[in-house]
Amino acid sequence: MKEYALLIVSAALVNNVILARFLGLCSFMGVTTRIDTAVGMGLATTFVITVSSMADWAVGAYLLEPYNLWYLRTVTFIMVIAAAVQFTELTVKKVSPPLFQMLGIYLPLITTNCAVLGVAILLVEQKMNFINATLFGFASSVGYSLVMVMFAGLRERLALADIPRLFAGPPIGFIVASLLALAFMGFSGMTS
Amino acid sequence: MGETMDNTTDFSAPALVEGFAHVVEVEGNMAWLVPESGTSCGGCASASACGSKGIGTTASRLEARRFQLVNDAGLRVGERVVVGIQENAVLRASITAYAIPLATLLIAGTLAQWAADSNFVTMAAMLAGLVFGLWLARLRAGQLMAKGELAPRFLRRASMGEMCNS
Repeated sequence: MKEYALLIVSAALVNNVILARFLGLCSFMGVTTRIDTAVGMGLATTFVITVSSMADWAVGAYLLEPYNLWYLRTVTFIMVIAAAVQFTELTVKKVSPPLFQMLGIYLPLITTNCAVLGVAILLVEQKMNFINATLFGFASSVGYSLVMVMFAGLRERLALADIPRLFAGPPIGFIVASLLALAFMGFSGMTS
Repeated sequence: MGETMDNTTDFSAPALVEGFAHVVEVEGNMAWLVPESGTSCGGCASASACGSKGIGTTASRLEARRFQLVNDAGLRVGERVVVGIQENAVLRASITAYAIPLATLLIAGTLAQWAADSNFVTMAAMLAGLVFGLWLARLRAGQLMAKGELAPRFLRRASMGEMCNS
């Protein structure tokens, strides 16, 4: 149980996908203007990263490794992620068309989110077993969602703040992101 | 006192998130609308000039997201309008669509790993958990629909050049 707890803390906070590994930065800056859109994007990404981590592990363990096809892992994982997003989209559409109308816009953004591919490559390179790979994918995406929501909250407050014209908009956003990254550096050293 | 209250903002009323849509069809008292494309940069009407539109903003994808409104405002085909949904509707919808299936998937996987300690059993349990979670999500979405919490409502006609992030 301790091993799982350390894995979750490490993936979510210490080696945060956005602030430590610098993955998924386009959605980090683009979809964080409102908290509700950040939550929507975060939950959708969490679902897709967790499901695609499971699928990527299975493809790696039962297809790429036995047939010595590791050199195809990047293109294979991209296909698996695209299939996972398509599966999610079709399922949400089938389960509830109103939900699809409201949330469908986030799913295509996830297909092109490098955080999803980055997590998949990291988990196979670390030679994890299935449950660890799933937890790693889940915890990484929780860390991604946490930072998205925190940053969206900060940006909502920044929108009301009196900021010098030269710093208004993306510049102050980048400065705040750097301060947030510095704050997350406080977690470094907790786990490897 | 009553007149004073009428002129103040009603803070108890649920806040609405606004979006833009085009009227594509009018059938009797109902209007079909297609939401404007959104991109990761937050653009909308300007998305045609945006390199990040990718596969997420094709006409067919937007057509699949078309929705219906009661046409009390006399909308005509081609009009651009502002529609709104309750601010917490996206949060509730996201939890329903993603958090419930994810929770059942992870709980089923954890229990299976604890009980059997086998990758195949864990995978099968997670798959079963996912299917069960999707069924629960469907039930919950039906409840939200019955309360009208997922339905967008017409707010006003969009003015010339009005943008989603303006």
